[in-house]
Amino acid sequence: MLPVGNSAMPRRGQRLVGAIFAATVEAPVPDSPPAGSGGDGTEPDPRFTFANERTFLAWSRTALALVVAGLGVVQLLPPFPGVPWGRHILGVPLIVFGAVVALAAYREWVRNQRAMRLGLPLSRSRMPLLLAMVVAVMAVISAVVVLVSALR
Amino acid sequence: MTPAPGDPVDQGAADPPRLDPGLARERTSLAWTRTALSFAAVGGVTLEKDVIAGLVIMCLAPAVWQLGRLTHHLPGRLQLITATIVAVALVALIVAATH
Repeated sequence: MLPVGNSAMPRRGQRLVGAIFAATVEAPVPDSPPAGSGGDGTEPDPRFTFANERTFLAWSRTALALVVAGLGVVQLLPPFPGVPWGRHILGVPLIVFGAVVALAAYREWVRNQRAMRLGLPLSRSRMPLLLAMVVAVMAVISAVVVLVSALR
Repeated sequence: MTPAPGDPVDQGAADPPRLDPGLARERTSLAWTRTALSFAAVGGVTLEKDVIAGLVIMCLAPAVWQLGRLTHHLPGRLQLITATIVAVALVALIVAATH
């Protein structure tokens, strides 16, 4: 049996969020594999499970950063002279890509968890390459928008 | 003697040996805290143009932090985080399109 929950959890914090969360904190560990964690197989080393979860959270923060960046470009940047659509063409793709990264992160977490349960090798993630390409493309588009704005 | 992080913990002959997660739980808890702070940051930026949407997103921060306190045997919470981020992105798109 693996360790469950966090015994040092502050009870006051539970009350703030409500009875639903408080009830699930002490939920017993199910005998069957949890939904979305890969189905059959054996429970992996908890350190690897935690590491997989931290990777998912890191990608989630990246997704949120992309959303914030897109929102910031649209709202906080001054309009580009001569390019009225400039802010939206930069900001909207970032926001959309943020949602895509969040969904892809969950898919990766499920795939890695399944591989660990079944003792299979972890597959290579394409997300870093995808992120790098999108950032590079956005940088090029930004440069084009700035240049067009300067020339008009 | 306290076992070092990563050392097998003696569970007796009946149970299979398990590994002590060591500080992995604390690191994961901190990662959840950073994620909750990220939600608060998104809410703060959204607050600039849309007060209600910004406040709603900011209120998600303590809920996300609390989700991180739940046992890792409840993977539905990761689905919830994913769905929340997609919803936040949709709200951001609406705010970006209307302001």
